[in-house]
Amino acid sequence: MSDLLLEVKNLKQYFNEGKASEVRAIDDISFSINRGETFGLVGESGCGKSTTGRTIIRLYDATDGEVLFNGVNVQDKKTKAANKDFNRKMQMIFQDPYASLNPRMKVMDIIAEGIDVHGLANSKKERREKVISLLETVGLNREHAERYPHEFSGGQRQRIGIARALAVDPEFIIADEPISALDVSIQAQVVNLLKDLQEERGLTYLFIAHDLSMVKYISDRIGVMYYGKLVEMASADELYRNPMHAYTKSLLSAIPLPDPIYERSRVRTPYNPKDHNYGSDEHVEFREIAPEHFVLCSDKESEEMKKNHVPKES
Amino acid sequence: MSKILQVKDLELSFHTFAGEVKAIRGVNFDLNKGETLAIVGESGSGKSVTTKSIMRLLPESSSEFKNGEIIFDGKDLTKLSEREMQKIRGKDISMIFQDPMTSLNPTMTIGKQIMEPILKHQKVSKDKARKVAIELLNMVGIPNAENRYKMYPHQFSGGQRQRIVIATALACNPQILIADEPTTALDVTIQAQILELMKDIQKKIDTSIIFITHDLGVVANVADRVAVMYGGMIVEIGTVDEIFYNPQHPYTWGLLSSMPSMDLNEEKLYAIPGTPPDLLNPPKGDAFALRSEYALKIDMEQPPPFFQVSDTHYAATWLLHPQAPQVEPPAGIIERMRTFPGSRYYEATGGRA
Repeated sequence: MSDLLLEVKNLKQYFNEGKASEVRAIDDISFSINRGETFGLVGESGCGKSTTGRTIIRLYDATDGEVLFNGVNVQDKKTKAANKDFNRKMQMIFQDPYASLNPRMKVMDIIAEGIDVHGLANSKKERREKVISLLETVGLNREHAERYPHEFSGGQRQRIGIARALAVDPEFIIADEPISALDVSIQAQVVNLLKDLQEERGLTYLFIAHDLSMVKYISDRIGVMYYGKLVEMASADELYRNPMHAYTKSLLSAIPLPDPIYERSRVRTPYNPKDHNYGSDEHVEFREIAPEHFVLCSDKESEEMKKNHVPKES
Repeated sequence: MSKILQVKDLELSFHTFAGEVKAIRGVNFDLNKGETLAIVGESGSGKSVTTKSIMRLLPESSSEFKNGEIIFDGKDLTKLSEREMQKIRGKDISMIFQDPMTSLNPTMTIGKQIMEPILKHQKVSKDKARKVAIELLNMVGIPNAENRYKMYPHQFSGGQRQRIVIATALACNPQILIADEPTTALDVTIQAQILELMKDIQKKIDTSIIFITHDLGVVANVADRVAVMYGGMIVEIGTVDEIFYNPQHPYTWGLLSSMPSMDLNEEKLYAIPGTPPDLLNPPKGDAFALRSEYALKIDMEQPPPFFQVSDTHYAATWLLHPQAPQVEPPAGIIERMRTFPGSRYYEATGGRA
């Protein structure tokens, strides 16, 4: 289990630093992702989950902290070749399948762009074969290669986005809300595809979403973010069975389930950060309450949580 | 219960360069006073087109009513002139759209936008309209409404904007409120707040709501009755309990099965195979047959009529025909049916905890 692929250490990302309009989009978060694992990152809009993904892949330069990928700091200045190598190993799938594909390029060229940049095909024929096999991998077919993005439905476009990410044979894929723009039945198709690909190719995912039910289904471990901070992190089962931070509880209580009888009795617990009532001398930090279950809390709260924690029955 | 709106045999087509797209192919439903009817289905199933045709918001140049009528207040809405329709829109029937970012005018203060329908439909002074607008903002939970009604949409968050859109829609106490995916663009926590708000308001002003969504969790939360649409038709309609605990149509089974459940640790999520039908050339028989493992031979030849399951529950599938073979629904669906008195899998002892 300890084969770390990605380590995020005390990462900070401030926008407009030092000005009155400073936004602490990521405020000192740390987590790590093991090889072959899916790490889910959830939270409401503006909590910094997408910024985290984008800083990891270095679309932004971090204000402070480190992102180690295979032991190498992503943010360090690198040679062109090293940079290229890094770009090949880490890929991203975006939320909006309508905006993330160039409408003026054919699907063939969209998918092959990475292949071209990294020189992964020696001939035109090989390039074409690679694209076709990628299309088939994601459940499309060879005729689709000659079409333009507008000829596809949302679910199909997201498949093209996935094929593009896979084209360069990455180790790590950041999926930023890959399914929130899709219909329920199509969501299931895309999630199943991502799971199958993970099994076949041993991929590692960072799965960013606000839809908690899907996140639970796809993730091994989940981190919950609130206003730039990671407030809770645990295995998916543990998090749903034993949510400890008040915000996680509130988030879980807000999910509507397809069960009318349950819905009639569901009570939503609102979250108010003031309820913690931290004193000025209390040290609020990320603490391990149960094995592999971390919560952002004060000393007093952590004692309380440890007392109330119900270990997994086995 | 009195019927406030009746949609009868509605058929509507779009004329495109590629040919005639039969977007709605015979839709029938009634809306009762004070109830919430949810319409579910995937993109392209015709759920938005149905409601837009009630509001007559489809472009006259490319859309055409082929058949049927929409009866509201003794009038057939499909026959009204644009001028007559303007008297109904925003007054008797109003609509909330999916995207609160684009359904507000960015160059107008929100107060002015809420006052607009009031000034248009009611003979009141500007001063009175402003008071009503502030009251509405208070009702939908915008704090400090007296000052904030002078602000512009960009000064509000997504959830607040949707509250403002709701306030605008409610300005004239409409009899019918059509909500087209009102919470799809919002976070779960904000979504929960908006749903609670809509339910509260419905109780206060006794309006009927048509709620369009593809999120079955939301449906379970808000709906009294549910209509499931597929390929331009309603394939199943019933009370919320009937649809969730005694579904009959294979498409409804598929929809319910593709939602991940919170307590089960399923290995693989069920996904409905294939893609929605091409409505340029709609299939001859049951539109869902090609994607259904339960399809019968007749499904390929003849579209199924509605079979009655109960007084309130109808489903269009040949599986309900007396001569049809008995099929076993997916395991998750049988699990649901066990809890529903009247279903064939009901277990009297298997009560819910």
